[in-house]
Amino acid sequence: MKLNKIFNLFRAFFSSNSPLVVLILMIILSSLIFPNFLTRLNICAIVKQYSIIGFLALGQLLVLITGGIDLSQGSMVAFTSIVVAVLMEPCGIFISVTVAIISSTFLGFINGFLVSRTKIPPFVVTLGMLSIVRGLALTISNTKPISINNDIFIQFGKETVFNVPLIFIVWIIASIILHLYINRRKMGCYIYATGGSEESARLSGVNVRRVKLFVYTLCAFLAAIGGVIWAARLRSGSPIGGSGYELESIAAVLVGGGSLFGGVGSILGTLAGVLTFGVINSSLNMAGISPYWQGTLKGIIIIIAVVISQIRLLRRDRN
Amino acid sequence: MSRTSFWQKFRELLSFENISLFRVTLIFLLMIFIAAVLSNGVFLQLENLLNIVKQNTILIIVSLGQLLVIIIAGIDLSVGSVLALSSVNFVIFQDFGLVPAICLSLLISLAIGFINGLLVTYGRLPAFVVTLASSLVVTSVAMVVSKGGTIKHSLSGIKLDDKISEFFKGSIFGVPYPVIIFIFILLIIEFFLRTRIGHFTYAVGGNEKAAIISGIPVNKVKIIIFMVASTLAGIGGVIFVLRVGLGNPQTGGNIPLDSIAAVSIGGASLAGGIGTVPGTIIGVFTLSTLSNILNILNVSPSLQYTFKGIVILMAVYLNSFKKE
Repeated sequence: MKLNKIFNLFRAFFSSNSPLVVLILMIILSSLIFPNFLTRLNICAIVKQYSIIGFLALGQLLVLITGGIDLSQGSMVAFTSIVVAVLMEPCGIFISVTVAIISSTFLGFINGFLVSRTKIPPFVVTLGMLSIVRGLALTISNTKPISINNDIFIQFGKETVFNVPLIFIVWIIASIILHLYINRRKMGCYIYATGGSEESARLSGVNVRRVKLFVYTLCAFLAAIGGVIWAARLRSGSPIGGSGYELESIAAVLVGGGSLFGGVGSILGTLAGVLTFGVINSSLNMAGISPYWQGTLKGIIIIIAVVISQIRLLRRDRN
Repeated sequence: MSRTSFWQKFRELLSFENISLFRVTLIFLLMIFIAAVLSNGVFLQLENLLNIVKQNTILIIVSLGQLLVIIIAGIDLSVGSVLALSSVNFVIFQDFGLVPAICLSLLISLAIGFINGLLVTYGRLPAFVVTLASSLVVTSVAMVVSKGGTIKHSLSGIKLDDKISEFFKGSIFGVPYPVIIFIFILLIIEFFLRTRIGHFTYAVGGNEKAAIISGIPVNKVKIIIFMVASTLAGIGGVIFVLRVGLGNPQTGGNIPLDSIAAVSIGGASLAGGIGTVPGTIIGVFTLSTLSNILNILNVSPSLQYTFKGIVILMAVYLNSFKKE
């Protein structure tokens, strides 16, 4: 009897977190096929590599929940890394990182301002910003990558705590904070309401404009942290880095149960979505499949994931 | 009769309903004026204008396809990849002769559009997701086929005729081929939008439910539009080979977003139902005139990205005043 209850609890948890099930199945499958998969080295490599996309995906999730989209993330990563690299020599870690994050967040604020105050669709606003920010990054760096020689900063990209990469821990902590924030706070409720139906949210007294402003600003802030980590890991700032990251983060959110139409998505699902791509990438490499084919598999996985979430939504609507 | 209709048209143009395109046209003319003044008239010389058309033939052709997809409230992120694959295919199929090679690579592009359309209509998936996924798939296929680099040899190892890029410099009666292709495709799409399917296209984008109720075969229309858009991207790939003389699996990276920007500047709405061929042409030329001006002013290519973004935002902002 008790076992049945526990079983039911499990079922309820996993049926509402199907991306997590997919991730666990993928991990089991990969570790059965490749004995080297579940080694500490490999897992560390995966989580290190995907922590950056992870930060972007957290921001992208919030924006997608409100029914918007942020295409400027990849450029923001490049811009942040360049600002950090340029200021690292003369000003030191603290100032360079702070200035980089504040300036990127300000650019995100402009995104939010334009989306909330004008009728320009979010797609076009952030498309324009993609171009603007990339141009700034290229101009500041004179189109050349800039190397970073600060040992403490570089160590931040390599540091491990109890054998767990520090940047992964930072990502997980950020996810937990965001999870608590959007589930326990009024603003989280407003974000979902805005995406569910903007009109009804507005009529029930939600300040939709402020919600949007907040979400795009926060998204750029998270992208900036991603950019700082990127710079620490690659020991340089690159003006052409991070291109296409915005699409990867969108794909991760979609695989994690989010929707382009807004109103749905969860932090847990997004984490699973990001790591699913990491696991797939790693096992494809282990299988020795040519990197050229990996795009095909990624594309098919995105389609399958979205079909699954679509079916789930249909079922929910029927109930 | 014709006079009144002309005045009516003119008044319509000035009225609030059509003001969006009118404003963008003004911006465009202003930019041409600036360019002409800055360059001491060199900008307006026939040679320069022909050059601009030549440089933008591919983007215009792809943008017209993007326009159709945006009118049905969709979006096509796969056009760049389809362009790249088509350029690779065209080179690979050289063995069969020039025309069969073109036909084959266009057929493959058509098939990709068909699959996109099927997934969007019968698969009920958002166009953004479908075309994002198909762009990944198509790019990776192009990479596999060409082994990751540019390609000049066909399947059986025949090298692409070096003279193939001569084609693009040729002309009939003094009119260069690229201009002829450009006008030809422009007219076809304009004509297409005036046919029955064209009217259906606007109806589907404007209000899908109403379109379904009025008996319009919505799914068929959508699939056809995706097929047309992909085929146009395929034509872009063929023109790329004719111009550059090789196939490149990595070309066209900026094409999807550039074409969406051009279509948006041209007054189309991403929400669907609105958009015109002249608007799109103006959109493409606004962007190219801008880069011309910036080149004359000696602005570094890096900073040009920034100005491009600002102009996209400004133009679409001016478009966004719609009749309430």
